[in-house]
Amino acid sequence: MNERLLEIDVPGAALESSSLVVAAGEVVALLGANGSGKSTLLRSIMGLYPARGAVRLAGEEIGALSPAGRARRGIGYVPEGRRLFPGMNVRDTLLVGAHGSAAAAGPRLRTVLELFPMLEKRLETPAWQLSGGQQQMLAIGRALMSEPRLLLLDEPSLGLAPVVVDELMLRLRGIAAQGTAVLLAEQSVARTLEIADRVYALAMGRVVAEGTPAAVHASGVLERAFLGADVVTPIRNSSRAEEQP
Amino acid sequence: MSPEKSRGSMTAFMQLAFNGLALGAAYALVALGFVLVLNATSAVNFAQGDLVMVGGYGAAALAAVLPLPGIALLPMVMAAMALLGLAVAALAYFPLMRRPASAVFISTIAVGLLLQNGALHIFGPEPRAAPPVLSGGQLHLGHVVLPYQSLAIVAVAAVLVLGQRWLFAHTQLGRRMRATAQDREMAAALGIPVRGMIALTFALAAALAGASGALLSNQFFVTPTEGGALILKAYIAVVIGGWGSLEGAVLGALLIGEFETLVAAWFGYTVASALLYGALLAILMARPQGFYGEAAERRA
Amino acid sequence: MSSAALAPTLRGLGDRAPWVLAALCLAAYAATASPYGLRVLALAGAQVVLVLGYQFIFGHAGALSLAQGAFFGIGAYVTAILGGRYGLGFLASFPVSILAPSLLAAAIAAPVLRLATHYFALATLGLAQVALLAAVNGGAFTGGALGITGVPGIVFFGWAVPRGLGLVAAVWLVVAAASWLSVHLTRGLTGRAYAVLRGNPLAASAIGLSEQRLRLAAFLLSAGYAGAAGALHAHILGVVSSESMAFSVMVACLAMTVIGGSTRLAGAFIGALLLTYLPEWLRSLEGYSLLAFGAALLAAIVAAPTGIAGALAKAVAALGRTERPILPTPAELPVPQGPSGLSLLVVRGLAKRFGGIEALKGLDLTIDRGEILGVIGPNGSGKTTLANLVTGFAPTGGGTVILEGRNITALGASEIARAGVGRSFQNPALPPELTVLEIVTLARASLEDDLGFRAALAGRDRSDRRERHEAEAMYFLRSLGADGYAHALCASLPYRAAWRVEIARILALEPKLVILDEPASGLTEAEQGELARTLRRLARLGLGLLVIEHNMPFLLPVADRILVLDEGRAIASGKPEEVRQNPAVISAYLGRKVGLA
Repeated sequence: MNERLLEIDVPGAALESSSLVVAAGEVVALLGANGSGKSTLLRSIMGLYPARGAVRLAGEEIGALSPAGRARRGIGYVPEGRRLFPGMNVRDTLLVGAHGSAAAAGPRLRTVLELFPMLEKRLETPAWQLSGGQQQMLAIGRALMSEPRLLLLDEPSLGLAPVVVDELMLRLRGIAAQGTAVLLAEQSVARTLEIADRVYALAMGRVVAEGTPAAVHASGVLERAFLGADVVTPIRNSSRAEEQP
Repeated sequence: MSPEKSRGSMTAFMQLAFNGLALGAAYALVALGFVLVLNATSAVNFAQGDLVMVGGYGAAALAAVLPLPGIALLPMVMAAMALLGLAVAALAYFPLMRRPASAVFISTIAVGLLLQNGALHIFGPEPRAAPPVLSGGQLHLGHVVLPYQSLAIVAVAAVLVLGQRWLFAHTQLGRRMRATAQDREMAAALGIPVRGMIALTFALAAALAGASGALLSNQFFVTPTEGGALILKAYIAVVIGGWGSLEGAVLGALLIGEFETLVAAWFGYTVASALLYGALLAILMARPQGFYGEAAERRA
Repeated sequence: MSSAALAPTLRGLGDRAPWVLAALCLAAYAATASPYGLRVLALAGAQVVLVLGYQFIFGHAGALSLAQGAFFGIGAYVTAILGGRYGLGFLASFPVSILAPSLLAAAIAAPVLRLATHYFALATLGLAQVALLAAVNGGAFTGGALGITGVPGIVFFGWAVPRGLGLVAAVWLVVAAASWLSVHLTRGLTGRAYAVLRGNPLAASAIGLSEQRLRLAAFLLSAGYAGAAGALHAHILGVVSSESMAFSVMVACLAMTVIGGSTRLAGAFIGALLLTYLPEWLRSLEGYSLLAFGAALLAAIVAAPTGIAGALAKAVAALGRTERPILPTPAELPVPQGPSGLSLLVVRGLAKRFGGIEALKGLDLTIDRGEILGVIGPNGSGKTTLANLVTGFAPTGGGTVILEGRNITALGASEIARAGVGRSFQNPALPPELTVLEIVTLARASLEDDLGFRAALAGRDRSDRRERHEAEAMYFLRSLGADGYAHALCASLPYRAAWRVEIARILALEPKLVILDEPASGLTEAEQGELARTLRRLARLGLGLLVIEHNMPFLLPVADRILVLDEGRAIASGKPEEVRQNPAVISAYLGRKVGLA
């Protein structure tokens, strides 16, 4: 059994506390609608948002570390909307993700470019001129330059065509196979279920289900969380007399 | 107009244009430092002009002790100014990081006061001059007279501006400073020590200001209060060039140098200044909801 | 006198006691001072007036103006020219000294006040430089670089107020009048309205306060006060030169205001007196006074941003009684009027571009009174842009918005709020430094136009009206279950209270249409139920509601109709049941969901 690389306390459905765990080499998905708390959870792992409980990386409590400190401990972050630096070209974007000198980053740069060959041809291109898919790959490449143990991705498929999303998911699978743990927050359910080892479903800031993709999918909890499929309409149909004028 | 006269006025024009270029080059260093800090912190460093003044005094004082040409003193002055820049960051910026930008405006006004009066006490109220960069003397290009000092100012400024560009484009340090200026949170999430980068930005800005002061104080005697007009010109350069653009700030400053020199030659310094400030007000007022409107839209 | 009446009287005396004491000290000092000392005292008085003026624009309106020194200089020059050169008396030169800078301020106000911090500071700095240039190069008119000498003291119809004690008395009489005016204008709710402007400008617009008008009034007053101060300065010194316009005057004013305290009356006195007398006391330490200025300003802005007066007030509050203030009794308000027969909100072809992105591509929608329209859509679909456009927080890029027959498309946010459209924000628009009761009270006062300097001058900003507004505010707070939080600071409200206060703030302006942006976020299920019941209650009272939400289990049962946006367009509209099963909607949200039952 793989060691627990990341462990963070999260509130559970019935208000009890539970933990979200990611092991090395795993792809773990956080699924939930907008406002379900996925982004907030990733940000609190990164230290950009106060965490409710403990955050442990490879057993070590990192709650007191700044975001830069956590990045240096081996967490890579690919935020929602990519947040590429305006005006930087592809090469600079990748190099700024490395923690050491440009020379030392040489081999790692080559590895990342092998992973994303479409970037290799465009090293001098300003990041803003790339297509959505290429930008997403660049953002991931930037995070990989520091050789992180854990890669956090916040809605990488946002705004991308389905074909591109497929490609993206395959790459993520490949990255995990190389040993980097991947924690992926997504709204795009179908694609994500195909590559994840485990899934957590979030609603209103709480974990409402957890398990293998097949199990979570079969339980129907995702639809309830997203569209309130089987919520009976009590408010409008209740007796008017009960309500205060 | 007779050929001699037209040649004469052509010569005069080129002469002035060259002088304006030299002045603009010195301004460009001030404006560049100003916009670097602005980008990194979203704050106006009102002490930037006074830092120029300190650089001028520093060069003059150093020259009294070390009888070397300006070019040899320059690196020493810039190094000392870099340290001063770190001090300014520590006093006026870091304690106010979480407060609105106007607080840093005020704290840097205060630091400017300290610098002015510190200079007054250390150096006295007499104007001082720094030694020339290489030597006095002039180059004659046809009928145009190019003082070596002005040539040196343009050359040194060009080297420094290009040096800053090279630093930002080709070194890890430069990339990290750019990242910090463009998206501080993202930079932190990549492991970049944001505070350190900001401190270095202040140091760089102060070094550039100091260089400008050392260059300018040979032709224009330095007095404790001259920082005030400079900060306004840096501000104007940045507005003309586009808030936040490094190249724009440099170009804006060159434009101001030329404008000042040319207009002053024909109509006097007062008219030049008045037109400059008038142009500033016109630009600010004519920009559509633009500045403020953008902010309001971004917010909601 | 009964004991109940005694307590407030004693408290009133307690408030006044420090002032009476200070006045007595001042008088005692004046009686025994040398002519030079009297001159310094008079000059200090002029500085008090200058700082009082600066407090309007810098302290209350929170805008960093760098023109205060220039306004001061203009006032000084006007007095020097009218009084010195043309021999006009005080009654002629003083009003003109006040008017001239005010007119200048009015002339540049419109374009300049719209500018954000850095630009506003720069524009006022530029103005100051132009004024200085004009003074130095004004030739015979301004006396050029040397200035104008022989400015008389204060002269009424040929009778000159005696220099020394007489002049000091006259100057401090003006100080007293200026202080009275400052207090009268800012002590009431108007001062709190400016606090909203500083603390949360969105909230100010949302309760119907025009940011532009508030800033303009503050700017004009600051200029007028500065002109008066400059005039006094000219009379005292007898000489006016470009020194009166120099940037050092501005810096000194800024330092006095920050160090003394930028919103408190006492701050103006403390700052002006301290920084006028500091150079005198440090006379032995030759010129170190300016270093001390700079150091004090730095220390103040870093460690004591509310100034010495603010620090003192905090100390006094900490030492003082901690009795629980009483809650006003809620008033009863009539039920809002019924429908008028027109559709409440009609939006046609609403469009908006941000740079290269089309956030809204020609949207149509209608809401009737008594109806709840839910608006849903993925991130970036344009929901918040829609809210901003309808409520005037962003200008439209095309289309029309009609509120019950009235075209509100081009109106600003505060005007639309007063026209009857209330809105909430994703982060509640509540100013952190005010209490819950204050913000809702201000909304009520805003509705009746009881706020602002004009209202204060007209006598509408008074304590009996304030009490009535507070009672009305309590009504709204109680109807939302938030009356217990009345005296809590908005910054300290937990989520479960903030939503109630936000809605109370909205209802206090008696809106016809309420737009809510993700009202259920952060609420427990129980609270969501309460929110839902509240919304239905409002609909039954005849309000129209537009509710933007992500939270389907909350929204779908509450809304009468749902509008689905995706990438700036409406892709579905209808009853909640229909919309939920619409394949286009499902795919917009879940992605290509092959296989999900």
